[in-house]
Amino acid sequence: MTESVAAVEIDGVTKRFDDVVAVDNVDLAIDDGEFFALLGPSGCGKTTTLRMIAGLDLPTEGSLRIFGDEVGMAPPDRRPVNTVFQAYALFPHMTVRQNIEFGLRMRRVRNPELGQRVAEAIGMVRLAGMEERRPDQLSGGQQQRVALARALVNQPKVLLLDEPLGALDLKLRQEMQQELKALQREVGITFVFVTHDQEEALAMSERIGVMSEGRLLQVGTPREIYERPASRFVADFIGRTNLIEASVESPTMVRLADGARIAAETSMPTGSQVAVSLRPERVRLQPRGTAAADGSSLDGEVCDITYLGHAVVYAVTVGSTSVEVRSEGEVGEPFAPGDEVTINWDHGAAAVVAD
Amino acid sequence: MTGIAETGLGQRTRRWLAAWAWVVFAFLYVPIFVLVIFSFNASARVNIWGGFSFQWYGEALSNDVITSAIRVSLIVAAVSTAVSVVLGTAVALALDRYRFRGRRALDGTIYLPIVIPDITMAVMLLVFFAEAFKLIDSFGPRYTLGISTIAVSHIAFNISFVCVVVRARLDQFDRTLEEAARDLYATGWQTFRRVTLPLIMPGIAAGGLLALTLSLDDVVISAFVAGPGSTTLPVYVFSSIRRGVTPELNAISTLMLAASITLVLASLALQRRRASASQRA
Repeated sequence: MTESVAAVEIDGVTKRFDDVVAVDNVDLAIDDGEFFALLGPSGCGKTTTLRMIAGLDLPTEGSLRIFGDEVGMAPPDRRPVNTVFQAYALFPHMTVRQNIEFGLRMRRVRNPELGQRVAEAIGMVRLAGMEERRPDQLSGGQQQRVALARALVNQPKVLLLDEPLGALDLKLRQEMQQELKALQREVGITFVFVTHDQEEALAMSERIGVMSEGRLLQVGTPREIYERPASRFVADFIGRTNLIEASVESPTMVRLADGARIAAETSMPTGSQVAVSLRPERVRLQPRGTAAADGSSLDGEVCDITYLGHAVVYAVTVGSTSVEVRSEGEVGEPFAPGDEVTINWDHGAAAVVAD
Repeated sequence: MTGIAETGLGQRTRRWLAAWAWVVFAFLYVPIFVLVIFSFNASARVNIWGGFSFQWYGEALSNDVITSAIRVSLIVAAVSTAVSVVLGTAVALALDRYRFRGRRALDGTIYLPIVIPDITMAVMLLVFFAEAFKLIDSFGPRYTLGISTIAVSHIAFNISFVCVVVRARLDQFDRTLEEAARDLYATGWQTFRRVTLPLIMPGIAAGGLLALTLSLDDVVISAFVAGPGSTTLPVYVFSSIRRGVTPELNAISTLMLAASITLVLASLALQRRRASASQRA
C-alpha cells in the first residue's frame, strides 16, 4: 500500500455534552482498507467517536476528514459512510428487500442498477429467499446480515459498526467474527467497529485503538497492544496481567521495592515509578534454584492453586505482591501450596508500563 | 374454575357475582335495545308496539331540519377531525422531540380540555367568540355563530385527544430508526415521511377516529356555539326531546348509535393491530 490519504482522519476532536466531556482531544488516522477496532469499557467515548464519523453527533472542536474531505459538520446524508447499528435498527414496517433498497432509493438509483445491486448485496450476505420477509420474522443472525447488506449496498468508503455482534449469542458471535473478516476482505473497504469485548477486538482487527474516559490511550496492532501496552489501563483492560510496582534503574533494567531486578526495556527516565506487566500465561513455575538469575526470574512461594481443567492457575507470593501464573498442558500436580519456587519468563515478556 | 378457586371465592359467591354481572349488563343495555326495537315500531305511539316498519327512518330522512342537522354534523366532524389530527400530531411531535421555552407549561396544559367540564369549555368558547367577533367586526366583516364556530370549538377539544393518543405511540418509538434513515442518505423530510410517519400512523388513525366520535357525539359545547339554522344532529335531538319522544327520534338515535359503534370498533381494531405489531417487534 502506498502512502496514500487516510480513510478517516480525526484531528484534535473533542465532544462535550453539556458539562460532560465524552471525547477528549482525540487524534487518529485510520488507513484505507483497514479493519480497525475502537475498544474500551462502556462510557469511554468509543461510540460517540463512531457517531461523529457517521455524522449522528457533531464534534464540539476539531476536524474530521474522510479521504481528505472535511466532513466534521456535514449531515449524515452527505458522508460516504454507512453504519451497522447496535440493535440493527431495521425498519420494522418494511420487508428485507425494502430495507436494503432504502439507501439507493434515497439517492435515486433506478432499475436496472437498483435491482442488480440489491441482488448482489443479498447474495453477499446469503439471504436469498428471505427478500419478502419482515425483520421480525428473522433470527438475530439474519437481522445482522440484513443490517450489513443495507449498509454495504450503498458502496460506502467506510463502514461503521457499533457493537455489531453484541446482540448475538456466543456461538453465533464467533461465526459472525469470521464472516465479518471474510466480508471485509471481499469488499476491500475500511471497517471501523466499536466493541467492549477485547477478545473480539484482538481476533478481528488489524489495528486497535484503546479508549478510556474520552481519551485515546494507545493505537496499535493486536500484538503491540497485548505485548507492549503503553499504560497500566491498557495492560489491565486487555487480557489478564500481573502489575508489579518498580522504579527505572537504567534503559534496560527496573528495580523492585525489595531490591530484585528485572530486565526490561524502557524509555522512561531513570528513577521514575513504573509497573512491570507480566502476562500469567507467559510465566513459568520452577523449583527454587533451577532457573538462572538473568533478570527474567523472581523467587516466591506457591500460595494457592486453582484447577480450571484446561489450565492450572497458581497464585505465587513474590515479596509483598501476588503473581498469577497460568500453566496449560501440565501433567500431574508438580507443585503444592507452600512450595518454594522460582518464576521465570522469556526475555522480552516483561513490559514496562507508565501510570 | 381454577382461577376462581385460587382467589378463594366459594361456589356460591361465584354464582352470585355472575348473576350480578348480568344485572349490570342489563341495566346498561336494555334501554338501548328498547330504543332500537321501538325505532322499527309501525305505531305512532312510542310505547305501544304496532308491528315492524322502516317508516320512521323514512320520515326522519325526509325531514329537512333533520337532514340539514346531519349535514352540519358530518361537515363539522370531518373538518374538525382533519384539522385536529394535523395540529394534534404536530404538538405531540414537538413535545416529544424538542426542548423549548414553555415546553413544560404546554405539556401540562395541553390535556386541560380533556378534564375540564364541557359546560365550562362551552361558556369559555362563547365568551371568546363574542370578544373575537367584536374585534373582527371593527374591521368591517360581520361574523356570527354558525357552522364555523362549531367546527373551531370541536377542533379546540379534539387536538388534546389526538395529542394524547399520538404521544403514547411516540413513547415507544425507537429513535435509532430515524438515525438509520439519516445514515442511509434520507433528508429530514424523507426520514419523517418514510420512517416516522408510517410507524406512528396507527396512533394517528386511532386519534382521528376518537376525534370523529367525540365530534359526532358532542351536545353541550355545540349547543352553546351553534347559531340559528346550523344545529348539529345531537343538538337537534336534545331540543326536540323537550316536546316528547317521537318514533322519529328513536330512528335517528339508532342511526347515531350504529355510527358510533362502527367507529369504536374500527378504533379498537386499529389498536389491536398496533398491539400485535409491537408484540412481534
